[in-house]
Amino acid sequence: MSDNPYQDDRGNKDLTITRPEGTSQLGAHPGTGHPMETSQAFLIGDSMTGGYGKGPDILHACTIAVNRGEIAVIVGPNGAGKSTAMKAVFGMLDLREGSVRLDGEDITDLSPQDRVAKGMGFVPQNSNIFTSMTVEENLEMGAFIRRDDIRPTMEQVYDLFPILRDKRRQAAGELSGGQRQQVAVGRALMTQPKVLMLDEPTAGVSPIVMDELFDRIIEVARTGIPILMVEQNARQALEIADKGYVMVQGRNAYTGTGKELLADPEVRKSFLGG
Amino acid sequence: MNPVMKNTALFIAMAVLLLLTGIVQSWNSALLILNMGLISAIMALGVNLQWGFAGLFNVGVMGFVALGGLASVLITMPPVPEAWAAGGPGVLLGLLLGAASIGIAIWAYPRLPKGRVRVLGMGAILVIGFIVYRAVFDPAVAAIEAVNPATSGYLGGLGLPVVLAWPVGGVLAAGAAWIIGKSALGLRSDYLAIATLGIAEIIIAILKNEDWLSRGVKNVIGLPRPVPNEIDLQNDPGFVSTAEGLGLDPVTASSLYVKFGYAVLFTIVLLILLWLAQKALHSPWGRMMRAIRDNETAAEAMGKDVKGRHLQVFILGSAVCGIAGAMMTTLDGQLTPGTYQPLRFTFLIWVMVIVGGSGNNLGAVLGGFLIWFLWVQVEPISGFVMDVITAGMAEDSAVRAHLLDSTAHMRLLTMGVIMLLVLRFSPRGLIPEK
Amino acid sequence: MEFFNAIVALSNFVVIPALAYGSQLALGALGVTLIYGILRFSNFAHGDTMAFGTMVTILMTWWFQSIGIGLGPLPTALLAMPFGIVGCAAMVLLTDRTVYRFYRAQKVKPVILVIVSMGVMFVMNGLVRFIIGPGDQRFADGERFVITARDFKTMTGLDEGMAIKSTQGITVVTAVIVVGLLFWFLTYTRTGKSMRAYSDNEDLALLSGINPERVVLVTWLIVAALATVAGTLYGLDKSFKPFTYFQLLLPIFASAIVGGLGSPLGAIAGGFVIAFSEVTITYAWKKVLVYLLPESLEPSGLVQLLSTDYKFAVSFVILLIVLLFRPTGLFRGKSV
Repeated sequence: MSDNPYQDDRGNKDLTITRPEGTSQLGAHPGTGHPMETSQAFLIGDSMTGGYGKGPDILHACTIAVNRGEIAVIVGPNGAGKSTAMKAVFGMLDLREGSVRLDGEDITDLSPQDRVAKGMGFVPQNSNIFTSMTVEENLEMGAFIRRDDIRPTMEQVYDLFPILRDKRRQAAGELSGGQRQQVAVGRALMTQPKVLMLDEPTAGVSPIVMDELFDRIIEVARTGIPILMVEQNARQALEIADKGYVMVQGRNAYTGTGKELLADPEVRKSFLGG
Repeated sequence: MNPVMKNTALFIAMAVLLLLTGIVQSWNSALLILNMGLISAIMALGVNLQWGFAGLFNVGVMGFVALGGLASVLITMPPVPEAWAAGGPGVLLGLLLGAASIGIAIWAYPRLPKGRVRVLGMGAILVIGFIVYRAVFDPAVAAIEAVNPATSGYLGGLGLPVVLAWPVGGVLAAGAAWIIGKSALGLRSDYLAIATLGIAEIIIAILKNEDWLSRGVKNVIGLPRPVPNEIDLQNDPGFVSTAEGLGLDPVTASSLYVKFGYAVLFTIVLLILLWLAQKALHSPWGRMMRAIRDNETAAEAMGKDVKGRHLQVFILGSAVCGIAGAMMTTLDGQLTPGTYQPLRFTFLIWVMVIVGGSGNNLGAVLGGFLIWFLWVQVEPISGFVMDVITAGMAEDSAVRAHLLDSTAHMRLLTMGVIMLLVLRFSPRGLIPEK
Repeated sequence: MEFFNAIVALSNFVVIPALAYGSQLALGALGVTLIYGILRFSNFAHGDTMAFGTMVTILMTWWFQSIGIGLGPLPTALLAMPFGIVGCAAMVLLTDRTVYRFYRAQKVKPVILVIVSMGVMFVMNGLVRFIIGPGDQRFADGERFVITARDFKTMTGLDEGMAIKSTQGITVVTAVIVVGLLFWFLTYTRTGKSMRAYSDNEDLALLSGINPERVVLVTWLIVAALATVAGTLYGLDKSFKPFTYFQLLLPIFASAIVGGLGSPLGAIAGGFVIAFSEVTITYAWKKVLVYLLPESLEPSGLVQLLSTDYKFAVSFVILLIVLLFRPTGLFRGKSV
């Protein structure tokens, strides 16, 4: 039984009267209330400690940063808190210590929506597209907060992902896994974000599609947008990464450039399978 | 204040309300409210089994209550031999044929090859079955309804003792619940709410239209009762002298005696059902029900038969509503299909459960009493309020007349407001689940 | 000739009434399906919302009639309908502010909202009965027929007449206009698209900067308009009685579910499926068959499959069949 009587549905799942899917899981979480001075990285989650609600801490003094024009990758074993760290940067976690700063501005106390308005683009791991809407409508919705002409941005997205131009009148839910991910990334790009965050963009796609997706992500990075990415495929991800973070049990275990980490025997042994 | 004391205080307060009714209005109305309160409490207990224990959303309480009412006609009324002679076998044969054609259709469905053959085959079976059924059924019904239409025109019942009617009401309701549960809980996701909403309307439609069964809107009156008749008591010299010894006139005394008799019977039933419900709640079965409710996935992973358990609790809850329905028809002494309305017999019961406290049997019982008390008393209270409001208005004011006329509708409004207030400020109800 | 007579009888007694009834159901089901899509619960108060909007329309109609304002051949109620919509919108927005918004902020499970809507249903039902009374109200005026049976007979020379009541004509025309407007709104406007996006994926809509409170507000406004139009058309075509409106809940839910909950197109299709099945199955076919069959085969009875009192059973059986064979509804709505 749930603690909150307003959320106690007694296990009812009668779909004629309620619609469970598509509901919001997203909550605004208050910040720590005491911001700290940190380095000059473009986006940094600095020594973040926190967890969900009043639950136990999942992150312990974890620091993640992206510099301008770079790709930063978070890797680590299952359950290490990779996605949690990214959610913390995006404001979906209750931080008790540490701060999040974007371009020198402290955003620790902002809600996820406000962070989007500040220029952060976020692609969640699951349900990251509007399945019932066309590709073009997905992109339009991505640009919902913009009041200026969005055509040029849409053209840029179509240039980056040519397949989407061909399928722009098709419902996004009918596309293949790889194409959906492109829609998701395209949608996030429509706000013209200053930084793009991707939560496991290659989860559940075939190796060939994965390679293509990585190529696309590099192309996005070349347009000058810094990218922070969580990845399970550590080796490929580190190959394209300017900076890598290996996380273990909610803590930073190893940090370095992608090449350094790939060369590090410890990292190789523990996480890259030799 | 610990919960036990608080609950006791709540029930004592409820009793005081009833006593006040007796003192201020009359003992007759107090007993009336008590009797219907007992029945309402049983209905609330049934809904609480389904919603409180298992999270099943039943908005067809009315249908089960009406089935209980039908049971009390079928069990207690004397049979009508002329009607049986005229069309009894025909009706039974018709129903059998109807059931058989559905049975054949179900049997044939998986055996026919997929595609057009199956569609046509199923269509043919059902259409032919329907025509045969109507051909046998319709003349028999016409014959039955022609027998003394003013007084009988139906098959009558079995002429068995009244108390037997109550469990049979439960059995009838359970049967209907089994059919609904099998089809609605068996689908890929639950469609229980809409299924129960629909079935309840269909049951009422059947009661209203199948005159051979229930006399339809002509109503069945003068049902046998488990307590003596007022008239007999008034003619009994022993009773009259006792009443006079107590300082009561025989008419009042007989009416009080009869109502008190009902109250005792209903209390016994309520206590038995409450005891069973509490036992069930604290048994391994009840713990499993709650485990399923709180985490269905986990329960399923542990090998619990979620669908089966849901079906069980749905049938049990509906049966309890059926028992209450049979008792209510016995209390009324008549079956009047036209008076079954969803607001009164489905949604009011929900108000009782929500206000009393979902998941708590005592809460449901308290809610049953309290909401029924308010349902009855809101009208005189709002009549009084309207009198006060309109006191300053001119005698012939249209607004005044309208306000005074409308007091009857304050009931629904008040029930809604109470429900919304409880949901907002005390979402667990008066007696919360632990 | 016989064949044409049969066709005419069929249209007169089955097709035209079912078209009108279907339009009314479709408009009602659209309201239910929108709330299900956006607010994610089935609104048990929808029948009473319809009754409330219709009541305001009726009161305005009476007032217009008393001061001599009318629309000539058209019913005055059409003129009063915008006021009914405004009144209904005010009511649902007030309800949203005082009741539903609190629960949204609590992020309640949808089933709690269903129970809350039961409370709202009681309140609205009570209000309507309190203000206008529980009885039957007629408020149709203007021309009664577009074509009377007699005109039709003289025009075509057939034995069978076809009457089109003006309320039936108005129902269908109004429904087409309203549905057209709604689809245009949902497909082409920024707000409409944001509603669809919110319905599809609430989190992503929030991340895209769509304001949920605004989406909810617009949804309630549209629902109020749909409910009032549906209720007024139903009242014009038949008559207004609070209890009947409450009972419309079942066929309206059935329409929405048959079409696929959450799918506006499905709601319309569902409305017509339910209406046509109800009318067809409860219609006495003798009149049509007399024209079609040779004399020797003429039926003796009414050839009515089920008495009209079983119309709920029809919606329900259709619903069960659809759910058994196509659980998402005809148009692949949200319930799987």
